[in-house]
Amino acid sequence: MLSRNWRHLCRRYSQAVTFRTNENSPAQQNDKQVGLFYTVNPDLCKQLFSHGGFPKSFMKQTKTFTETAIMVRQPALDLINCIRASDMDQPAIRYVLYGEKGTGKSLTLAHLLHYAHEDGFLIVHVPWVSEWLRRITRHKEMSNSQTREGLVDLPLDAAAWLIHFKSQNQKLLKSGNLKTNKEYVWSKREKTEVGSPLSDLVELGINRVKYACDVIDALVDEIKILSNNKQCKTFVAIDGFNSFFYPLTRLNTPTKRKVEPDEVTLTSSFMKITKNDWKNGVIVVTADELSVPEEHHESYLPRYLLYKKGFEHLDPFVPIQINRYSDKEFMTCVSYYRDRLWLRGPTEIEMELKFTSASNPYKFMEQCAPL
Amino acid sequence: MANKMKIIKKSMAWYYPNYLLPKIRGVIQCRDYARNTTFQSYYQNPVFRKEDQAKLIESSELSKIAAFPVKPPAACETSSVYHDPIVNKVINHIMEMGKKSLARSLIEKAFENIKRTQIERYHLASTQQEKDKIELDPKKILHQAIENSKPLLQLTPIKRGGITYQVPGPITENRSLFLAIKWLLEATYEKERTVHFPEQFAWELLDAASNSGKVVKRKQDLHRLCEANRAYAHYRWQ
Repeated sequence: MLSRNWRHLCRRYSQAVTFRTNENSPAQQNDKQVGLFYTVNPDLCKQLFSHGGFPKSFMKQTKTFTETAIMVRQPALDLINCIRASDMDQPAIRYVLYGEKGTGKSLTLAHLLHYAHEDGFLIVHVPWVSEWLRRITRHKEMSNSQTREGLVDLPLDAAAWLIHFKSQNQKLLKSGNLKTNKEYVWSKREKTEVGSPLSDLVELGINRVKYACDVIDALVDEIKILSNNKQCKTFVAIDGFNSFFYPLTRLNTPTKRKVEPDEVTLTSSFMKITKNDWKNGVIVVTADELSVPEEHHESYLPRYLLYKKGFEHLDPFVPIQINRYSDKEFMTCVSYYRDRLWLRGPTEIEMELKFTSASNPYKFMEQCAPL
Repeated sequence: MANKMKIIKKSMAWYYPNYLLPKIRGVIQCRDYARNTTFQSYYQNPVFRKEDQAKLIESSELSKIAAFPVKPPAACETSSVYHDPIVNKVINHIMEMGKKSLARSLIEKAFENIKRTQIERYHLASTQQEKDKIELDPKKILHQAIENSKPLLQLTPIKRGGITYQVPGPITENRSLFLAIKWLLEATYEKERTVHFPEQFAWELLDAASNSGKVVKRKQDLHRLCEANRAYAHYRWQ
């Protein structure tokens, strides 16, 4: 009896399933494409994600499969519909993506970024906040802020982010419609005039790394003003946002004092842009367990990860849970992996893997690896 | 079968002498306990593969063994689709201080690396012929690599007239398997400090599977030496 059921289930899962969709623009995707994979154009990939945005394991996967394919999933579609339906004249709505480890928060965010790029949003995307606050590399540079007392600058990270920003918004910045509304004086000789294009501001930050953090701060202000004036619409995406609210960072000042996230200038800039005191914008952030140390992986819920402070900062927000694979999604994923030869072997193991990975996308991918 | 065993176990005479027991080594994966265990010597090795059980039933040998108690199978001896005795062997060779899960994770990572390189090559290959040539199964590559690095001859030092001669002679199947695995691992351990074990092991396996690389060269060197020392061969029996 059991074995017959088993065989039946195996047969069900081994059926040839369509797993690809030709609908490569996220704006056109609808419920028919749920669970199917669409490929992202390599040039676009390079433009949007060359400086981060995909998780490392997914980058490896794209190299192995020689293509970038993202699954169309329900939360992303829902969010796109929400963004379309919402009134842009109202204060910006904040969405928080949350879910267990490895369920695809970052990839959903990447999918949304693709949508935002197609829909002509100005993209403000932070690939991974922990990269700034928790990852200490040999080249990490810190300095005390010149303009704001008691705060810490991360000039190299800030400059890297500006390059990322520039490459993501090439088109909009080149068009030159975006102009500054204020005058910024950096030093005796350097200043940015009123009405100079936004790209000049970004260039200045990249070339004069010393001012990169202040440039970001100015850029955030400018973006808010421009959006309010309806000169552009803005899509803010921050991955691992809860890192900003974890009590401590791994940074140390030269006097060996532990730095809190609030004392970093970048934090204050991105706090400003996640407030809902501006309009014509969309804010999507993720609350991720992986961006805090392991002893605080007890729950994946936003209230736990964002702490009271972060929760109150974002409140009111729309929580969106990213779930594990549903049966259908698992099935298409299996056939995609079989097509890409990542999953090999008899059909019985699909059920075996479904049980052992509990349909968790990342675990499923990992467990297929040595087979 | 398990039920039957239980009944038979009860009626089993505990002082049954060892030499009267039938040998069932031929069919099953050999699993000898290295140290003294709680199992008496008349306990039989478990038959944990479904194919092997079917074989036993077919050759009607099951009724002979059914009367004897059986050792429990180890955790790694499963009837999973992916069980492979050679892989298990290699894992045991890699293992240090009994950290088997670590050893297994290392070899799995090596398999992953092999798979990644091979799949990438497969997708980048333009024609079907080229694609067919690429072996994608990491386990098959491991088998092929071990097969290619197994020596056929060995040198044994034999002392004749005060001089030790390196005398070529045949090698047993077991010893050549042991040497193949040992050489593969020794070649892997000779690596840069910054390169991780799974990466290097993957490269060595891919090299050996395509009949090139350090290990195959070592095998060929041994064969050459055996060939050069063939004049001493008669010392084996004189």
